[in-house]
Amino acid sequence: MANNKMLIGFFVASESIFFVMLILAYVNFHGTVTDGPTAANSLDPLRTGIFSLFLLASSFSMWLAGRSLVSKNHFMMKIWILVTIILGVLFIYGQASEWMGLIGQNITISRNVFGTTFFTLTGFHGFHVCVGLLMLTILLGLAMFGDFKGPKSDGVECISIYWHFVDGVWIVVYSVIYLWAFF
Amino acid sequence: MSTRIPLVPENIKPLPSLKGNEGMLSWVSSVDHKQIGLMYLMSTLVFFIIGGLEALVIRIQLAQPEFDFISPEVYNQMFTMHGTTMIFFVVMPFLIGVGVYLVPLMIGARDMAFPRLNALSFWLVIFGGILLYYSFLTQSGPSEVGWFAYAPLSEKPFSLNKGPTYWALGLLAVGISSVSSGLNNIVTILTMRVKGMTMRRLPLFVWMILVTSFILIFVIPIIASAFAMMLLDRLLDATFFTPAHGGSAILWQHFFWGFGHPEVYILILPAFGIISEVIPVFSRKPIFGYSFVAGSTVAIGLLSVGVWAHHMFAVGLGNVANAYFSLASMLIAIPTGVKVLNWVATMWGGKIYFATPMLFATAFIIEFVMGGLTGVAIASAPINWVTTDTYFIVAHFHYVLFGGSLFAIFAGVYYWFPKFTGRMMSETLGKWHFWLTVVGFNMTFFIQHFLGVMGMPRRTYTYHDLPYWGSMNLLSTIGAFVLAISVIIFAWNIIWSLKHGKKAPDNPWNAWTLEWYTTSPPAVHNFDLVPPVRGRRPLWDLAHPDQLDEPNSKVV
Amino acid sequence: MEKLGGIFNPSSPEMVVMAGLTYYIIAISIGILAIIVVAVTYIVIRYRKGSKDSSEPYQNFGDLRLEIVWTIIPIAIVAVLFQLTCSTMRAVDPPIGDHEPDVVVTGHQWWWEFYYPKSGVLTANELHMPVGERLLLRIESIDVIHDFWVPELGRKIDAIPGHTNYIWIGAGEPGIFLGACAEFCGTQHANMRIRVIAETQEEFNEWQEQELVIPSTPRSGIAAKGAELFQTKACMNCHTIVGTPAAARIGPNLTHLNNRQTIGAGVLTNSPENLTKWLVNPQKYKQGALMPNMKLTDSEVNAIVAYLEALK
Repeated sequence: MANNKMLIGFFVASESIFFVMLILAYVNFHGTVTDGPTAANSLDPLRTGIFSLFLLASSFSMWLAGRSLVSKNHFMMKIWILVTIILGVLFIYGQASEWMGLIGQNITISRNVFGTTFFTLTGFHGFHVCVGLLMLTILLGLAMFGDFKGPKSDGVECISIYWHFVDGVWIVVYSVIYLWAFF
Repeated sequence: MSTRIPLVPENIKPLPSLKGNEGMLSWVSSVDHKQIGLMYLMSTLVFFIIGGLEALVIRIQLAQPEFDFISPEVYNQMFTMHGTTMIFFVVMPFLIGVGVYLVPLMIGARDMAFPRLNALSFWLVIFGGILLYYSFLTQSGPSEVGWFAYAPLSEKPFSLNKGPTYWALGLLAVGISSVSSGLNNIVTILTMRVKGMTMRRLPLFVWMILVTSFILIFVIPIIASAFAMMLLDRLLDATFFTPAHGGSAILWQHFFWGFGHPEVYILILPAFGIISEVIPVFSRKPIFGYSFVAGSTVAIGLLSVGVWAHHMFAVGLGNVANAYFSLASMLIAIPTGVKVLNWVATMWGGKIYFATPMLFATAFIIEFVMGGLTGVAIASAPINWVTTDTYFIVAHFHYVLFGGSLFAIFAGVYYWFPKFTGRMMSETLGKWHFWLTVVGFNMTFFIQHFLGVMGMPRRTYTYHDLPYWGSMNLLSTIGAFVLAISVIIFAWNIIWSLKHGKKAPDNPWNAWTLEWYTTSPPAVHNFDLVPPVRGRRPLWDLAHPDQLDEPNSKVV
Repeated sequence: MEKLGGIFNPSSPEMVVMAGLTYYIIAISIGILAIIVVAVTYIVIRYRKGSKDSSEPYQNFGDLRLEIVWTIIPIAIVAVLFQLTCSTMRAVDPPIGDHEPDVVVTGHQWWWEFYYPKSGVLTANELHMPVGERLLLRIESIDVIHDFWVPELGRKIDAIPGHTNYIWIGAGEPGIFLGACAEFCGTQHANMRIRVIAETQEEFNEWQEQELVIPSTPRSGIAAKGAELFQTKACMNCHTIVGTPAAARIGPNLTHLNNRQTIGAGVLTNSPENLTKWLVNPQKYKQGALMPNMKLTDSEVNAIVAYLEALK
């Protein structure tokens, strides 16, 4: 049924407005901080950039999982979903350790508008990644029990659309927060 | 299709029937669009009465100058809760609920595309309502910062009570509900239409629900993100909207009205849909200029997202921004005017039967035009500088939301009640309800235009005894009590008619859309057989095979 | 018949322009409304279904020419309206250029502070201005969003924390013009009133000189006791009296309270009796105001009232 994919498509469109607003809030306050932490003096674009590659790669592995589904290669599909989960977890690990580092330097959501907008934007994105990981784990579990023999499955395809969306949002977020501050 | 393995197994037992003897459980556990629709309608009636009582408290306090009926805090809580309740828990869920009931029937479908999501949407509204009203039980009561909760008043340290937190959480729940209903409606309307029901043959009510749903899914996230930021400010000391810590008070206004203005069209477009169904049926003519009515709706939907800052003319955005937002807002008058004239033209040359639904629909045209015209006036920045934040605005938006949306809602209730329940509503009580509503409504709100331009600011719990202020406010308060009587009659009419109303035939109004083809009330599965759809009025085509709306149509 | 206020009594050149535009649009609106009402009334009478008539009327689906006509007419009206909007906006809100503000208006919960930077006068809630002069006001807020509004003299303009606004204002005739905060700003939003006192240039100059006098502190009698209480009873934590150590600007400047017509931002008229009532318990007259009930004894209240009355 096309219904499910249409639903997730419009849902993702709706969610993207949510992120647009968070990004607009970040952009609105960009450059207004005169003293205290800012993106330029507290963030490490290289380190986060490397962890971002994991998320980008996970989009690719999710795509491969979908390809395996189409070719009815059940085993490889499970492997690629597992790879996606691992890459997603690595990204979240990177983000968590970045947050811990910032909080350790007393850069928090209440410190100033940079802290406020940075933690809100990356936090909501991280939350979306976690939701995606949860769904992927359920997907993997169901696949272990023999679901999703292919060549089509709305479950796999919808979660895949969501996962690509989360990945796409991160590209924008990374560009706005990290690249804008340093280049 | 057969390859799809559902993530959640389908119900094996058939859905509980409307008259099932499983009692409450059959309602609470229902995923049937008709039961959910009815639950929406019943809960909005409850919220309508609560919101109405809050309005009466406001009007009593203002009945005379320097009156001492309630404290300023309670007054501020009352107008905050009145506005929030009426917008988010009466008009919005009513229109969504009546859509949930009717859309599948009107397009010949068995149910919504996602029945469980539909149930989730409804229960989220109830959950949001409980969160909102729970704040009455907190130490310092509900929010007292108004329905647009301007920062930094709604922030620490100016609002240390829990009210605004519950308020934002409750509305966040309603927001999630609205997005999910919007998504559900879009998919249902785009994919589940019966054969022959092309987009150009869609009943106008369904068109309006479709456009509204698109507005919902694209503007609710705006306010959801703003609520998230406000809650982070309040709970974790973030600094989005606190100027003292580097935040911006104006940003909240942009975000709020970025949602808040399209919200106005969320509240009125489905009401236009109801009117576009009622007027043709009771005039015995097809809608005049179908594609213009549908097309102008799309135009309004598109324009609605580009006009938000006309709520912010007093902010001092500069004359260039003010000029743009004036022009964009005035432009909305054009598609809206097209609609009104099409309704009038539909009535022209008809043979009009003035049953209660048609009375409300006819009055709607005049009351709404009144609200629309003051709307054009205040879209002009200099007039807005005079009128904004005064009783002129209060009068304006009550003409649009009461004289507009609510009159349409009343028309809709009288029109579809036979379909919903299998019984007719009392026409005698209906006429009493109608005339008292017209008299009470205009008495309450017309005079407020004058109070506004004479200088009475809105949201003031007291006022000095300036010339005529006392008598004008008293008149308004008396009008509010007339309205209260009309609402009692309305509620009594519903309760009485549920038990004692005349048995309704399948198609009591001789209407033409598909919901009237099935039984009243419809069977659980909606239709035994959907008639062929060869034009916009399937039941007309069925009754007049020699005079088809689209004689050259190929679909049989 | 008593005189109606607000838009019915425009008393400044700006307000005359804005009221003119408003009248004009109201007239157009009444015209359009009348057309709709007449049409609907005619339809209701003419096309009512006969009780025995069961035939269907002629089925008319629309008319493209008509649709075009009633799309173009509103476009024309909007175009005219937009042109008027722009010209009015230019007249009311001309560019500030490099003008220095004549008055700095600061909104507080729930009173207004008026500071005249050119002369140094600092007062509250009552704005004196010479008739016929166009003053530039700078509008600011110390806490939440307020809105400066004197209906008979001009437009509304928000007082926003962290954002400075300007407005031109003038009075065409002498008189007292009532205004109020127009943006909801909390519990006592209703009692955040403004009085504009438009007077001749001579009267204005005289007022300004009076305001600048540094009053001598009473040295004997009950007023002297009041002066001492003012310093010891926490009054000075919020209020200013020039020439004494009291210099806080949390509440209104009380140096020349004598010169003002009202107290509590318009809650009570200014008289020794009302001042006494106010000091006994301000919360009774302005519930929620930031000035607490100081729990003063009657003799303390009388002493402070005598002190404030003696400041000249």
